[in-house]
Amino acid sequence: MSVGMAIIYGAPIVLASYALSRRDDTFRRGMTRAVEQFAMLVPRMFCALVAAGFVAKLIPTEFISRFLGDEAGITAIFIGTVTGLAIPSGPVVAFSIAATFAKAGAADSALIAFITAWTIFAFHRVIIYEIPLLGVSFLRLRLSSVFLLPILAGLMTMGVTRAWEWVSVS
Amino acid sequence: MISEANRQWLLKLLTNGFGKSFWWFLAFAIVMGIVCHQLLGPEEFQAALREDLELVTGMLPRVIAALTVAGMVWVLLPRDQFSRLIGKESGFRGLVIATAAGVVTPGGPASAYPLLAVMGGAGADRGALVAYITSWAILGMQRILVWDLPFMGAEFSLMRFLICLPLPILAGLIARWLPLSLSLVEERQPQPLSKGAASDAQSEGERK
Repeated sequence: MSVGMAIIYGAPIVLASYALSRRDDTFRRGMTRAVEQFAMLVPRMFCALVAAGFVAKLIPTEFISRFLGDEAGITAIFIGTVTGLAIPSGPVVAFSIAATFAKAGAADSALIAFITAWTIFAFHRVIIYEIPLLGVSFLRLRLSSVFLLPILAGLMTMGVTRAWEWVSVS
Repeated sequence: MISEANRQWLLKLLTNGFGKSFWWFLAFAIVMGIVCHQLLGPEEFQAALREDLELVTGMLPRVIAALTVAGMVWVLLPRDQFSRLIGKESGFRGLVIATAAGVVTPGGPASAYPLLAVMGGAGADRGALVAYITSWAILGMQRILVWDLPFMGAEFSLMRFLICLPLPILAGLIARWLPLSLSLVEERQPQPLSKGAASDAQSEGERK
């Protein structure tokens, strides 16, 4: 954690000092852009995070985990994907849900589909960052490019696990 | 003493921040809060609200740091070299570079998305943009170290990383192949929002 923190807070200091050392308006222009983006993002971020917290409480985790076992096969991958899509919040919530699923005996393929779906689609990120900073046409392009990836990841996991079991049995 | 240009800029900031979509989100948050309160009771509601507020206050300093980085990268980046690396002509290598950049980008969405906007504005290719953000999302090293490892264990994290490794490149290839039109927010603003952006365009003209 501390290395990550050092990078997160060290990078702006280093870059800003370098920009200042140029003694032209580089620093001012960079800060102007940062302030503009801050004003655009933070009010939405506040509302979206509060809403996401409530939505996360409403998702019936225990109930869903019953359908993610190894015997469910491809169905489990689909359910994992859809649940991942529905989680509109950060890693705290998503990974505690993943851990709940794992404890309830979910298959690796379903877990990987779930995590991949959540990381790719995370609804709050789309609303807070993607639409304001890049626009709807980028969102459309990205979603059309990636919507099959969670299922693909799940299927690949299933293939790898099956192959592994087959190798270790024979 | 605030000059007229400054006043207009500040006004623009306010209207951007509290635009129509802000009020929709606020309404959505309130509705969800009421649903939560009715279904789960006041204690769960208060716990959720407290967690959310802690999350927001915890995030603010990181958001400020990340936006400062994105702003500085925006003014310091050598645009022409950069677009040679992951621009329209960069081919398969561009996708690999974008994927690698996504893996090592530290920080949450507050750093990745502003950097993505910088790349888009600097002329990165659409496949590289999709590969970068997909890679950051699925393979981002920081998320794996901080979240995957402690929650899911080393074996599972490694398996997930290896299986997902080719996916961002695949996504980039699909994005290049799809016949969808793309107009980024950065490119779409012919008249600059602010004096900052105006002097951006001006100094770019001077450099040429």
